[in-house]
Amino acid sequence: MTDRKPMIVSEGVKKWFGDFQALRGVTTTVGERDVVVVIGPSGSGKSTFIRCINRLEVHQEGRIVVDGIELTNDLRNIDAIRREVGMVFQSFNLFPHLTVLENITLAPIWVRKQTRTESEENGMQLLERVGIPEQAEKFPGQLSGGQQQRVAIARSLAMNPKVMLFDEPTSALDPEMIKEVLDVMKELAQSGMTMIVVTHEMGFAREVADRVLFFDYGTIVEEGTPEHFFTNPQHDRTKLFLSQIL
Amino acid sequence: MVKPLEPQTTASEHAKPPFWRNVTVLKWIAQIGFLTFFVWLFYILISQAVSNLEGTGIPFSWDFLAEPLGVLLGEGFNTSPGSGLEALAVGMTNMLRITASGIVAATILGTIIGVARLSSNWIVSQVANAYIEFFRNIPLLVQIYFWQALVLALGELSADEEGAAWFFATAKGIAIPWLTPQAGRWQYVGFLLLGAFATRWVYKWRVRILEEKGMETHAASWALGTFATFLIAGWLVHPVMGIFGWLWTVLAWIFGNIPVIVFQLILAALAAWLAYRFIKNFLDERRTPAGLAKLTDDDYFRLTVAGLLGLSGVAFFLLGPGESTVSQLLGRSATFSMNWGLEPIFDFLASKFDFSTGAPLEFSRPEVVVPTRFAQYSAEAGRAFTPAFVAVWVGVTLYTAAFIAEIVRAGIMAVHRGQNEAASAVGLKRSQVLRLVVLPQAFRIVLPPLGSQYLNLAKNTSLGIAVAFAEIVQVGQTIYNQRGQTLAVFIIWMAFYAAVSLILSGIVNYYNRKMQLVER
Repeated sequence: MTDRKPMIVSEGVKKWFGDFQALRGVTTTVGERDVVVVIGPSGSGKSTFIRCINRLEVHQEGRIVVDGIELTNDLRNIDAIRREVGMVFQSFNLFPHLTVLENITLAPIWVRKQTRTESEENGMQLLERVGIPEQAEKFPGQLSGGQQQRVAIARSLAMNPKVMLFDEPTSALDPEMIKEVLDVMKELAQSGMTMIVVTHEMGFAREVADRVLFFDYGTIVEEGTPEHFFTNPQHDRTKLFLSQIL
Repeated sequence: MVKPLEPQTTASEHAKPPFWRNVTVLKWIAQIGFLTFFVWLFYILISQAVSNLEGTGIPFSWDFLAEPLGVLLGEGFNTSPGSGLEALAVGMTNMLRITASGIVAATILGTIIGVARLSSNWIVSQVANAYIEFFRNIPLLVQIYFWQALVLALGELSADEEGAAWFFATAKGIAIPWLTPQAGRWQYVGFLLLGAFATRWVYKWRVRILEEKGMETHAASWALGTFATFLIAGWLVHPVMGIFGWLWTVLAWIFGNIPVIVFQLILAALAAWLAYRFIKNFLDERRTPAGLAKLTDDDYFRLTVAGLLGLSGVAFFLLGPGESTVSQLLGRSATFSMNWGLEPIFDFLASKFDFSTGAPLEFSRPEVVVPTRFAQYSAEAGRAFTPAFVAVWVGVTLYTAAFIAEIVRAGIMAVHRGQNEAASAVGLKRSQVLRLVVLPQAFRIVLPPLGSQYLNLAKNTSLGIAVAFAEIVQVGQTIYNQRGQTLAVFIIWMAFYAAVSLILSGIVNYYNRKMQLVER
């Protein structure tokens, strides 16, 4: 546990899809500037959990508080949280009808009410940060998977979020493109961004994470520092999982 | 050592198969055979039709186009046309009026209903669903009859209502306020065309400054302002456009004095140029860096046909029937006595750009007048739609909107769910997600099926004949009932519908190509 100011607080979060209970009471706190990596087998609820944090899924029980704002049915709260929380998806989800730069400037112009010039300058800086300024005028369909995911990261960063959520950002990529995306994420972590990352990249978890959460059957089975987690896991389920993937 | 196989036959045996086994020869025979067959088939059909018509004592002719007709049409820009051609032109414009306004209205209504169908609000989505199922499952003809009956049941227009009002709805039709064009409208429209060019220039100029200096230049607002200036200024200064009247007069004189041979030469050159372009493109497509790829027999056949068609085009326009055809098309003989063609167009324009002053459009409310014992809508004030027009317009619009709604729904659902999520995740509001991300992508998916609904709407206007709406089928039928020129009217019908459909699908295809997503 960190003594930093809490950024995301989750208390007993439960979620059902029909009869199936995806989350069985998730309680955790993510502090400011924390990098939390979430691992676990498929169907364990890790993606559902981070999708609840920006209301792409609606939790049915428990509380989620982001930067002091509670996630309720109040549209104003939902909009406020979505402005502060960026999200990167497994399938990139770039807008195919807009150029790379337009993808990035869309939300700043319409939500933050920035001028076009201002948002484009900012967008070019972000593209330089993720290493592909020369692709600004291309369309997403013309880029490689790794480049698309870096654009997606830049698109989220353009809103100046306080928290970034990553939902298996490298799972749809060729092995040689994974590194270019992870490098961008590492740089982001070092710059002090609060991040929750669902991933199967254990190397990334070991190197960058402040804390690792292990999910199974909709709950956090074990959590701790990467060191504790990879060298001295306590639960049998964690041991079994690690023995299968390492 | 393995001994190389001896060839079983020698090369010379391969070189010359008998012609009935020679693939090259067989292909040529097949191509020429089919071509001859179709030419023969068309010849038989047309000559049979012509001789049948002669047998009835009514030989095929286009004369009715120029001769007086003596019928009254239900509505249109001229309800007592002076000639067959004028009557058909009235029918065509009536059809185009319903088609153009129906397409706009059906698209707007269909999009709203399609989006409503997907609403998470149960009542809204069920109402939209009921609309779709109701209008989609009843034959359009029945619907048109229904709307006609509804309008006719509205009650008679009584003489007591004499005078102007905002709105009338009676068995005589529906009358609404309208902007009626006045004498100066041509000059005004000409002025607005200049305004459109100016707007384009201003927009590009502001964008260029934006790109060079990187400052916010509000290009769109500037462009809008420019056009608004023209819109308002034109109202006052449009008479100055009368200057163009002189230009049109000069152009009319020039075109009126070009000898027919010049037009013949232009058309012949066009035919030769088309054939040349086809052959050149054909060969270019088959050219590789290593040289021209080997042409198949089929390729040679196409090249030959293209060349022959080009040559016969040149021959047609320069020799033989060319001169008389061109003269007829232009409506003049080699001695320069003329009536149709480019000259009359410029003459017409010259007569409209005449420095006339006054407001180009006039707003007026509909008015009931009682010229005889019976009250009717005034033709000068407001705009009255006949029961037939209302029935056809409402019928095709509501019917087509139901299909468009389903197409829009399919288009929206075909946009990947991740697009919605990503757009929400960056903080866009629900309405912004729909407007900025989902609809632009759905529009691309929707365009091709939307185009075929537009074609359906255009063709369905022909059902207007059922309620005696004076569109081209109804007018055409009136003409052949009078004159017996069935074949000629059929040819005009088919050519007109084919032209409208081809133009519509050409526009849709153009946008479809332009809107394609850029992929690798």
